[in-house]
Amino acid sequence: MRALSIASTGMAAQQTNVETIANNLANMNTTGFKQQRAEFQDLLYQNIQTPGAQTSDQGTFAPNGIQIGAGVRTAAIYRITTQGDLQSTSNPYDVAIQGSGYFRIQQADGTDAYTRSGNFSLSPEGQLITQDGLVVQPGIAIPQNTLSVQINAQGQVNATVAGNNTPQTVGQLELTRFPNEAGLNAIGSNLYLETPASGSPQAGVPGSTGYGTVQQGYLETSNVNSVDEITALITAQRAYEMNSKVISAADQMLQQTARLGGQ
Amino acid sequence: MDNSLLVSLSQQLAAYRSMDVIANNIANASTPGFKRESAKFEEYVTHVRPSETQTGPQALSFVKDAGVVRDLAQGELNSTGATLDFAINGKGFFAVQTPAGMRYTRDGHFSLNQDGQLVTSDGYAVQGDGGAITITPDDGNVSVGPDGTISSILNGASNQIAKLQVMTFPNERAMTKQGANLYSTTQAATPSTESTVAQRMLEGSNVKPVIEIAHMVEVMRAYEMTATMTNSQEQLMRQAIDKLGSMPN
Repeated sequence: MRALSIASTGMAAQQTNVETIANNLANMNTTGFKQQRAEFQDLLYQNIQTPGAQTSDQGTFAPNGIQIGAGVRTAAIYRITTQGDLQSTSNPYDVAIQGSGYFRIQQADGTDAYTRSGNFSLSPEGQLITQDGLVVQPGIAIPQNTLSVQINAQGQVNATVAGNNTPQTVGQLELTRFPNEAGLNAIGSNLYLETPASGSPQAGVPGSTGYGTVQQGYLETSNVNSVDEITALITAQRAYEMNSKVISAADQMLQQTARLGGQ
Repeated sequence: MDNSLLVSLSQQLAAYRSMDVIANNIANASTPGFKRESAKFEEYVTHVRPSETQTGPQALSFVKDAGVVRDLAQGELNSTGATLDFAINGKGFFAVQTPAGMRYTRDGHFSLNQDGQLVTSDGYAVQGDGGAITITPDDGNVSVGPDGTISSILNGASNQIAKLQVMTFPNERAMTKQGANLYSTTQAATPSTESTVAQRMLEGSNVKPVIEIAHMVEVMRAYEMTATMTNSQEQLMRQAIDKLGSMPN
């Protein structure tokens, strides 16, 4: 009886679906978070009779084959990299990316990671760092006696220092883009790593062709839509329930089989 | 063995087969582009020699697999918001180049690979009018028209990249399912002129929960009836043996 194992693949798939939805909902307020979605594929088929099999030597063919499926599997959990809404924070070191691209961050081990989450701060040395203390690349140092900092849409960082009314350029924010940004490996803490699937990083100046612009004093909210998620949750829950009904139906049939000739 | 038991057996095997097909439909209720199937059975008639008290020809009819019929009805289109999700509205399939040859799919969830080629979740290249489709990061957010034309705004001007092809076949029902939402066929593919492509949408599975559950109950009950019949047949045989065996010598 294959129905039991088929239904169990269905239950496993819906469980993955619910887990993905739960993670989306949990990250509704995570800066720069991108909604994920589980994608499913049918499993291999057992060909009992191939469609178009010859049914006689007179050249008649079976219009339909007999193919018995083996259930479903999760093919991918992919990120939907649409733009999140920009939310005003009026913090001068909050930078949102409007369009495509990632900020490059140097991790503690010296390797690069990428993020859309632009809620930066200053280190004691005046370096622009993330909330985990990792340095934003290329490094930008804000002078000690700075009164105000302006970051323009092209990522140029200007600081007005005490005693000098003319703002001076102290750095340039860079954005990195990938041929396939959905192929980045999410490692938590809003960070992504380059993978063979993502392709090699290409750095560029915000606002140039193919790169987004940056917006100071704003943060990109997650692109999770709660209505979508709740609808998906209901569908997933019902699908799970149906699969469990198949298991109990198959179980009943097996019980009857076991009782055959038992009286 | 008694013929009635064999007839019951054929029915029970058919019930198992139906249940497997229903289970597969329900398991794939969330698989994009999945087409529901139903098992069809036919009578297989054999003629038996009439016993002494019977007159006229006697026939037994067994249940036999006739085929698993695919319901090609359109699944509903779900908006996903992902730029590279496509749904076909109407007949036809997207063509996908796999190592085993050309395959066809209705699951339009595509991504880019490391070279910027449009590929399926398994990394197989989706075919446009000129072979594989490459979208560079410079193209930014591409838009796809109803006829499958992929274009982008590049330096303020519209730039046509490629055209997604929707292929149709003379007999879509005769295509072989390969798993992973792919179909194979030996039929010649022709580009569709009627079907349209919707971007940021995926075609849902056309499995209707109510229908599947109703079929499932039907199969279960049919199985139950046959089981009861087998049991009473078995009792008859046992009684006959008891009665005959207890006859005085």
